[in-house]
Amino acid sequence: MQEVVVLGVGMHRFGKTGDAIVGGKSVTELCRHAVDMAMKDAGVSWRQVQAVSAASSRFSGGKGWGLNGNDVVEDLGCTGIPVYNLSAGCAAGGNAFNVGYSLVAGGIHDLVLVVGGEVMPKGMIQTSGVEDINDPEYLRQRCVGMPGPAFWATLARRRMFDHGTTEEQMAQVTVKARKCSESNPFARFQKAVSLDEVLASPYVSNPLRLFEICPVSNGAAASVICSKDMARRFTSKPITVATSTVATIGFDDALPRSLAGPVPNGPSFHTEAKAAVMKAFERSGIGPRDIGFTELQDNTCYYELAFPEEWGLCEPGEAERLLEAGETTPTGRMPINPSGGFVSFGEATTAMGVFQIAELTWQLRGQAGGRQVPGAKVGLAQTNGLGGNATAAILKR
Amino acid sequence: MTERNAMTDLSTNTALREPCVPGLFSEDEGPLLHGARCITCSTPYFPRVAHCRNPACAASHIVSCTFGGEGRLWSYSVADFAPPPPHRYDKPFVPYAIGVVDLDSGLRVVGQMVDPVESMRVGARVSLVIEPIHHDEGKAFTSWKFKLLDR
Repeated sequence: MQEVVVLGVGMHRFGKTGDAIVGGKSVTELCRHAVDMAMKDAGVSWRQVQAVSAASSRFSGGKGWGLNGNDVVEDLGCTGIPVYNLSAGCAAGGNAFNVGYSLVAGGIHDLVLVVGGEVMPKGMIQTSGVEDINDPEYLRQRCVGMPGPAFWATLARRRMFDHGTTEEQMAQVTVKARKCSESNPFARFQKAVSLDEVLASPYVSNPLRLFEICPVSNGAAASVICSKDMARRFTSKPITVATSTVATIGFDDALPRSLAGPVPNGPSFHTEAKAAVMKAFERSGIGPRDIGFTELQDNTCYYELAFPEEWGLCEPGEAERLLEAGETTPTGRMPINPSGGFVSFGEATTAMGVFQIAELTWQLRGQAGGRQVPGAKVGLAQTNGLGGNATAAILKR
Repeated sequence: MTERNAMTDLSTNTALREPCVPGLFSEDEGPLLHGARCITCSTPYFPRVAHCRNPACAASHIVSCTFGGEGRLWSYSVADFAPPPPHRYDKPFVPYAIGVVDLDSGLRVVGQMVDPVESMRVGARVSLVIEPIHHDEGKAFTSWKFKLLDR
């Protein structure tokens, strides 16, 4: 195994079709911006890139087949390099990073570009793309009508029952996140909100409100990764990829992802996310208490309460207390989503795993400005996606 | 007669009731979901599967069975806004609760709740019913739902 480092990162600020940020830019234009920035940050030229690992979108570009990496290569100039297009729902960016990492770690390539970008259709994501009675997603929408936010709301409601979590506490997560976004030039929303404003926003799926779930956004992120040996030619202070992992859902997961499942024997929440993160701890030899800060997939503020407990970052039932004590802010004991998270960015679905790598890199270099985690040394990233996909990565300096 | 009342009348006339997807459930012998169970490891399935999917099961042995009766509301959410297609609903849209129910037979299953959102509580006893989810072309299209037992 070769040691893998992050050499450069880039991002296009997230926005919404037609706004002053992304306007009518295509996904290829958004990706180009992020890739140019990442290559400049790394100090590498396009002709030095040996392979592209890209997240596949079903919403934009990719010739309708998720060939988004091919679009990027065509735009930058066809050099004949291998392109990997990875599909894993909202975890696709994390999967693309994992495949790029694996290619470098395994010695197949020394320098790889990882990219994810998205132009999203308006409104709630239509989870099923096909009208096929053999597709469980189709059956769930046709027979029940259970859109994405209802999954999060079901889990949040259960946490309220199990732990006594209040709607005010969930709103407080958004207040914390949006405060962080004020100093993130890449966030779609860069304005703090008050607790009253969050609680005045309408329910999208009770108990979760509009300001407590991520909207869909347009955006792109890229990173240039390479072997540690090669990195010496470019920089004296690379960011090390301690590990990158991928996992999928367990058979006993608590929440049926189609219509039904067996009643599990005990608590078995978010089994895909937990498996990816546990595997990351195991492979890197870095434990939960060594993690300095975390970027996790906050499609909803609920995850910021549930995930840290399940991964051992804090004790079960402790998350609300840490939140209220300010310990999840960038200067607290357990910083969560110093970037402002999905709640501040909106979700450009397949870009998110790469967006997290960019934020981790900026934090570990001390380049995060007003949202900087003081003395950040080790960061954890995690994504979830449709189909029971999840990824994790640990970066360190 | 208002349009709404006309719809209600349609929905009680069995000749004009049609499952929104065929083969998944029936109501001739009471509300039933058509599923399966592996008799080796007892894992219940809905809809039916061809093979047992339990990675710990020694030997898949699937038999068809039905699920019905009562259970307990494990958790729930609310569709406060109309879900995107392929969901279909009667207009104007009325928010509904979506239950995740542990049937006493060991199946955890999702389904719309019949009762108003305000009456939901985690842990409530419920029973399976077949009810219309939308009306179209003079027919009531039905699906499985859950009804609170102690309201």
